[in-house]
Amino acid sequence: MELRAVTKRYGHAENAVTALDAVDARFAPGTFTAVMGPSGSGKSTLLQCSAGLDRVTGGEVRIDGVPITDLSERALTRLRRSRVGFVFQTFNLIPALTAAQNVVLPLRLAGRRPQPSEVTARLTEVGLAERAGHRPAELSGGQQQRVAIARALITRPAVIFADEPTGALDARSGAEVLRLLRTAVDRHGQTIVMVTHDPVAAAHADRVLFLADGRVVDDLTGPVGSEKIAVHTARLEESAR
Amino acid sequence: MMAWAIVRHRFASFAGTFVAIALGVAVVACSVTLYLSSRPQPPERYDASPVMVQAPSVGTNDFSESEIRSWTTSELTDLATKLRPEPRITNVIPDPVFYVQELGTEDMGTAQLDGHSWSSAALGGYRLTAGRAPEKRGEVVIGTSLRKGTGAGGSIEVLTAVGPETWTVTGTTDGGGYYVTDSDALARSSGVRVIGLTVTGDPERIADSARALIGTSGTVLTGPDRAALEPAKVTRIRWIGAQLLIAMVVLGAFATVFVVASTCALTASQRRRELGLLRAAGATPAQVRRLMYAETALIALLAGLVGAPLGAVLAPLVAGPMVSFGLEPPGYEATWQPAAVGGAVLLGLVVALAGVAVAARRASKVPPLAALREAAAETRSMTPSRWVFGLLSLAAGAGLLAAMPTMATESKTTAGMGAAMLLLTTAALLAPVVIGPLVRLATGPWRGSATGMLVREGTLTGVRRVASTAAPVLVTVGMTVLLTGMVATIDEAAGIDEAADIPAATVLAPDGTPGLGETAVSAQTGTSRLDTRVLVTHGSAVTGEDATGVAGAPVTLSPEAAKELGASIGSAINLRWADGTVASLPVEKIDVNAAAPVVLPRDLVRRHDPDALTALVVLKGDPQPAAGGRVLSARDYAREQVDEEGDLVDLFLWVLIGLTAGYTAIAVASTLLMATAARGPEFRALRLAGAGLGQVLRVTTAEALLAAVVGALLGGAVGVFSLTGVRAAVEDEMGREVALIIPWAAGIGVAILCAVLAVAATAVPVLRRTELAR
Ligand SMILES: Nc1ncnc2c1ncn2[C@@H]1O[C@H](COP(=O)(O)OP(=O)(O)OP(=O)(O)O)[C@@H](O)[C@H]1O
Ligand SMILES: [Mg+2]
Repeated sequence: MELRAVTKRYGHAENAVTALDAVDARFAPGTFTAVMGPSGSGKSTLLQCSAGLDRVTGGEVRIDGVPITDLSERALTRLRRSRVGFVFQTFNLIPALTAAQNVVLPLRLAGRRPQPSEVTARLTEVGLAERAGHRPAELSGGQQQRVAIARALITRPAVIFADEPTGALDARSGAEVLRLLRTAVDRHGQTIVMVTHDPVAAAHADRVLFLADGRVVDDLTGPVGSEKIAVHTARLEESAR
Repeated sequence: MMAWAIVRHRFASFAGTFVAIALGVAVVACSVTLYLSSRPQPPERYDASPVMVQAPSVGTNDFSESEIRSWTTSELTDLATKLRPEPRITNVIPDPVFYVQELGTEDMGTAQLDGHSWSSAALGGYRLTAGRAPEKRGEVVIGTSLRKGTGAGGSIEVLTAVGPETWTVTGTTDGGGYYVTDSDALARSSGVRVIGLTVTGDPERIADSARALIGTSGTVLTGPDRAALEPAKVTRIRWIGAQLLIAMVVLGAFATVFVVASTCALTASQRRRELGLLRAAGATPAQVRRLMYAETALIALLAGLVGAPLGAVLAPLVAGPMVSFGLEPPGYEATWQPAAVGGAVLLGLVVALAGVAVAARRASKVPPLAALREAAAETRSMTPSRWVFGLLSLAAGAGLLAAMPTMATESKTTAGMGAAMLLLTTAALLAPVVIGPLVRLATGPWRGSATGMLVREGTLTGVRRVASTAAPVLVTVGMTVLLTGMVATIDEAAGIDEAADIPAATVLAPDGTPGLGETAVSAQTGTSRLDTRVLVTHGSAVTGEDATGVAGAPVTLSPEAAKELGASIGSAINLRWADGTVASLPVEKIDVNAAAPVVLPRDLVRRHDPDALTALVVLKGDPQPAAGGRVLSARDYAREQVDEEGDLVDLFLWVLIGLTAGYTAIAVASTLLMATAARGPEFRALRLAGAGLGQVLRVTTAEALLAAVVGALLGGAVGVFSLTGVRAAVEDEMGREVALIIPWAAGIGVAILCAVLAVAATAVPVLRRTELAR
């Protein structure tokens, strides 16, 4: 998973906004990266461009060594379906489908018939085996996020992107979600890129990338304590003012 | 699996589509059931005659009905002689028919089919219920159903082609109508075209041997094929009804596609976020499209299963009124028609899939990113395909209107309706272009207020939603303005025409009778026409022509008839009379003002068509009292004729407007209901921001009114534009200027109705969910 000189501009001519400015980044397999930065710094944009949800203005994005920049919509969809997982802040689940149906959605869209045992295994992993038949409206916010994680994991993707997955949750549910992500990395060697505002959340990652004004301004590796992250964040916001 | 889950889970959001399809299917199922129930039937009077012979067909007329000639008396005797030797044929019975009506009763359109020969009663298996058979002229057996109270031995006063007569009732029978002696019936009828056989044995075998016996001098019919013997008069009535039913099906199908297309587009735009999530989860655009088709197919099927039985149940209730309005023959009944019901469900499916096509294409283009955005505020409401299809249908509609003057008269109304449908589609597609400026204009004065701002921004960022909710209003107003305006314009033009060339004369006209008998006419001094039909042979072709007998007239042709028959002054025309005899007459005159295509001496016509009636006597002297006739001014008579035709047109009009308006009114309500229901979270946010329920209602009401106004304006514009095309066609036809009549009252009336419905439909979901907790 690699970004080379990725630039993203929104709008045209004079009122154009440069959300990403020649960003280079590599996310090694089996690592958990947190992306931080002040509001409007381009975190979500980085995520969306990396995941092929949005087209870049310049530069190149590679997933699993495949440059996605020139792929057709169809090919991109296929790639996303099999190699990329998502967890958004809210609205992750199709309201009409049950938890189990939501989890197997990517497989079914790929035309595969999932084993019931596989579905149960995934739901058990996130601690929701007995909620399989419930619809999103009958699940709490934290439970919904856990279903979304189960769904992201089911295809064994090359990378999972999460945009503030704990942003709408209380501390305990948030911690549960983070623990699940961490487990996926440790147990299955899953690669995860997560955008967050919360230093405590970022502390679960192996590496923290700081963005400001569409540029990578800092890159902390190794287990980083939440206090250190908080200090960095504060400093960045100070300079942004 | 997914389509089913989604449909089941969010049925409410498909409500508009469901209602539109269910109603459309019901209309189609009902109309088609009525249509199929009205196929020609073997007349009940022939129930006991499984094998029948019809006189030879000599060609087809403009209505594509067979022209059947009559057998002459000698041909009849000949046929009977040929058929009798077959041992399984027990009797050969010619069936002469003539006009009889009891004095003082009103003709319901079938009096000319009520006189029969007594022996023909056997064809229906009818028996004497009292008294004895008629034995001489002036004696009659009457149907018990016809007149209760008159038993054998009494007398009855009737009108026939001869005039008023008093007959002795010698008996009664369980059949309908009047039965006189065979020779009397033969003498009275305008030729015999049917022979019935009573048989013992297998009808098909007997029919085969009958065919072998008579060769080409008749067509042998058995079983259901005997439907070909239905009197032309009855078939014509069915034809009129069929026209209305066909129009209903076309209009119903159009309204369904139209409303389904706009509700599907609405559903798709309301679900952008969900569709984006599906795309993010790995659905290809094709899978999204398939999902939309699958959902709509499911909804259409469910709606069809509700609508089709509803239509089938409604059909028998409509059958009665259709008979009393003269759109179906007496005795008509709607029967169970599986083909109509199944076909309607299928049509609903096809129409729904056609309607969802554009929405599905658009939905498949929703980017996965849409999942991340709150209910997207759309910025671009006009897509290239909207422009392309909008302008294409505009060109087609305008082209059709422009071409109307050169079209045949019969196809003009169809062309006008077709053009209107195309233009309505244009208006719906291009609506977003005008919605923006219109909203800015309408909300301008209230820009400062919160309501004004909310309505303005809400509609400007939801132009497509407004366009979808305006669509049904558009059809209702457009169709109403076009249909009522068309009739008013034509009526007005025709009115001037009539008044222009009617002489200030007095006329004797039929009074509740199909025509005037001989006595009534001969008592008057004046001119009259004795109408008949002749079959003219020219070269190898035979053409049926309407002919009329005028006292002392030379053999005259209209120029059109002369051209068609290849005749000129001095050449002879070979014609076959109503009684089956042939004659060759020299053409003496070709006249543009001929009273009919073929004009013949009156006494000749009377001799060969004993049952012919006179439609009208233009009086020269004082009127003499005549039974079954009444005296009035020519002007009044003409007005009555126009009115009578107008009544039928009005009936058509009201049914079609009622259908469109009723249908689209329900669509207005359901579309707005579903559009507003989907905005629950938005209104909740508004309430949380401090808006009172009243303020929310004010916003939704203003938006509903805006949609109604947009629809009404566009619909009115389309209606008026189509009307100018219709007027051009009428002007061309009449060769002079015609005033354009715009039905303001009707247009504004339905627009107000739509607005009221729209406001009510938006208020319901707002008032139903007033709690603020999620
Ligand atoms: N669709 C868009 N059109 C125009 N500008 C956009 C769009 N999306 C984002 N931007 C702009 O790009 C910049 C980066 O936005 P982005 O959403 O990536 O920020 P972010 O770091 O995720 O912020 P936050 O922490 O608030 O979520 C911002 O200045 C934003 O205004
Ligand atoms: Mg963001």
